[in-house]
Amino acid sequence: MGSAPSPLPSAHGTPTSDLSAVRPPLPVKMVVAGGFGVGKTTAVAAVSEIEPLTTEASITEVAAGVDAVSLTPHKTTTTVAMDFGCLTLDPTLKLYLFGTPGQDRFGFMWDDVTEGALGALVVVDSRRLDDCFPAVDYFERKGMPFAVAVNTFDGSLTHPLDAVREALDVTEEVPVLAFDARDQGSVRDSLIVVLEHALARAVAAA
Amino acid sequence: MTPQGGRPDPARPRREPAGADQGVERASAVRPFMVTEGRVAAEAGLPVETQVVATAEGLGQIGALAFERKAIVEACGTPLSLAEVAVKLRLHLNVVRVLAGDLRASRLLAVHVPRAGTASDIDVLRRVIDGLRSIPTTVGSRDAD
Repeated sequence: MGSAPSPLPSAHGTPTSDLSAVRPPLPVKMVVAGGFGVGKTTAVAAVSEIEPLTTEASITEVAAGVDAVSLTPHKTTTTVAMDFGCLTLDPTLKLYLFGTPGQDRFGFMWDDVTEGALGALVVVDSRRLDDCFPAVDYFERKGMPFAVAVNTFDGSLTHPLDAVREALDVTEEVPVLAFDARDQGSVRDSLIVVLEHALARAVAAA
Repeated sequence: MTPQGGRPDPARPRREPAGADQGVERASAVRPFMVTEGRVAAEAGLPVETQVVATAEGLGQIGALAFERKAIVEACGTPLSLAEVAVKLRLHLNVVRVLAGDLRASRLLAVHVPRAGTASDIDVLRRVIDGLRSIPTTVGSRDAD
């Protein structure tokens, strides 16, 4: 209820030019976040229909440091790698998954990528829990729906989910689940958990 | 054993990451922005998933274009996201944003900016959930919670 159902595929944005005959799909995106080496790229790869691509996103310092006058980037120039994959859900709907580095010094890039995302999956290695703190903090602050997914590297959980939830101190509505980043079905199900959480919120707000 | 608890003060300096997540081949830091004549922020608002596709006019004028602009129009015979264009052409995302803005202004590229509010659109969320549920998964992992 609430939002007026838009007539089917036209749910996509405002075409600023109608000259093109080819109608692109509605692009939606989700973020897969977490610390270094927790399995973000693995998770993206597990569900993506393409090999995850790595692009370089420049961050604020680059933009500020390079201008027409002085073309020398400052020492602060930072280029960060961002992995992404995609899934064509139907001809009119394409889901992009962006894996973002977990360190909070990449705050700018997170905004760049997370703006307009449906939700986020924060991937956690329970042996290095504090690696995910910046991500959890970030999505809480941003008010973006997210779920915490504990990667079961060897098929078993090092710590019970309750303990993880307690240590992360996330609110009750935030799903905390175990998943296997290598397993397509497992990653898919985790993304659905995020989306159902997002949907519940959207319905409540409607 | 419980994992160490308590999130630290977000203001606390974090340890330096080992570069970006994965090593990535670096594009030149300077040349891409020469391509844009130093402009960096003009189209900063375009989301990374923004779909761009060549217009008939753009395809018709390919011969008259050069370098990156030509490459973008060529690559966008079918719709691509800005992120995909960046990867394909090995350009910074922000460079692609600026050039896509230029090409749009000269009507050679259609830029479909995602509608604001899509993320909390109930119908969209339902469609994505249904879409994910119906993707065929490889055999095996039903027991994963």
